[in-house]
Amino acid sequence: MTGSNQPLELILARNLMSSLAIPSFLVDNAGMLVFYNAAAGELLGKRFEEIGRRSLAEWSADHAPFEQDGREIPTEDLPFTIAVRESRPVHRRFQLRADGGPPMEIESSAVPLAGASGCQGAIVVFWPVSGA
Amino acid sequence: MAPEANIQVTLWGVRGSIPVADPAVFRHGGNTPCVALRLSDGARVVLDAGSGIRALGDTLAGTREPLHILLSHLHLDHIQGLLFFKPLFDADREITIWGPPAGDGSLRDRLSRYLSAPLSPIEMRELPARVSYRTCPPGTWRLGPALVEAALVNHRGPTFGYRISEGRAAVCYLPDHEPALGQSLETSEAEWISGYALARRASVLIHDGQYTDSEYQAHLGWGHSAVSDALLFARRAEARRVILFHHDPAHSDDDLDGLCDEARDRWSALGGDANSVEIAAEQRELSVEP
Ligand SMILES: [Zn+2]
Ligand SMILES: [Zn+2]
Repeated sequence: MTGSNQPLELILARNLMSSLAIPSFLVDNAGMLVFYNAAAGELLGKRFEEIGRRSLAEWSADHAPFEQDGREIPTEDLPFTIAVRESRPVHRRFQLRADGGPPMEIESSAVPLAGASGCQGAIVVFWPVSGA
Repeated sequence: MAPEANIQVTLWGVRGSIPVADPAVFRHGGNTPCVALRLSDGARVVLDAGSGIRALGDTLAGTREPLHILLSHLHLDHIQGLLFFKPLFDADREITIWGPPAGDGSLRDRLSRYLSAPLSPIEMRELPARVSYRTCPPGTWRLGPALVEAALVNHRGPTFGYRISEGRAAVCYLPDHEPALGQSLETSEAEWISGYALARRASVLIHDGQYTDSEYQAHLGWGHSAVSDALLFARRAEARRVILFHHDPAHSDDDLDGLCDEARDRWSALGGDANSVEIAAEQRELSVEP
């Protein structure tokens, strides 16, 4: 048998993100966080190589994303999840915690990676909101 | 008893980009991509329909086996021979043309942009053969005695690589492929390398080797490989035999001889057997045993 491959859309996205200086995350269509770049690692306090792939639920448990009013954001309402589930771009501002740090406010934009054979995942870009 | 599964491979066009009719390339050939596979039951699988498909068509007169043409993509060098493929003008012939999906129309519609006025004297509907056009399904499917697997690979525009196998004999075809773009083929995890699963332990890997390493620097992102990247990819995938393919139109026979020596040295340095690397040449035939 042959080995397995990630879909080309994810391979290209990962290669692109690797050369970006803006914090970027890559999720697959099964809701796994399969990669994030060095800038994202710096923002959240751990390099991808230290952590490896994990589910968005695990990621949420670590970073506890929450609304301005303090309500927790369930995994299914995160931009990552919506972009993949509904194959549409999603923009949202929320707060989260880096590795043991204080809350920080971020803007996030998720773009679905919808190819000819359906949505393969999403790229999510984080932007820390200064002064928050 | 079932016949021993093997695949006969014939290279009919090995040049990339544009046909070349210069005597300086006649030894390796100037026709654009076309590779014919003959399966153990006699069925033909044709990989791409570059100008090399014309000469293949001449050899098929009077044969009646089912014909499948698998297009890697629709760049002109991979389809320009279609109108000159005699079996398409044989009303008794059944031909299936397979290709990659794209968001801008069916395979038939996309091909008809070229095979219609004013670019072509003949419209697709006028072709006498019974032709069907099919988008390759995802995953692996059966074509007679063979298993075919297609996957999108890194080139410009939707492009398939193919793996055709019978038993343990497997041919992988990646004619236009730039897996090294934006990543290290040495350190990336295998599943993140474009085309890896198709090429994994292939008996024969036919791979893009359009550029010398120095030429590649001026062509990053054009969708083709430097020879050393092609070999690194092949080594990662543990391909058993490598045929460097899709030669640059500017590369003469002498240039390709030099490239062959370099490629063999490099393959040895990567731990392979120098004799299992070759530069594709038209009319080359090989039998892929299980
Ligand atoms: Zn080409
Ligand atoms: Zn091409």
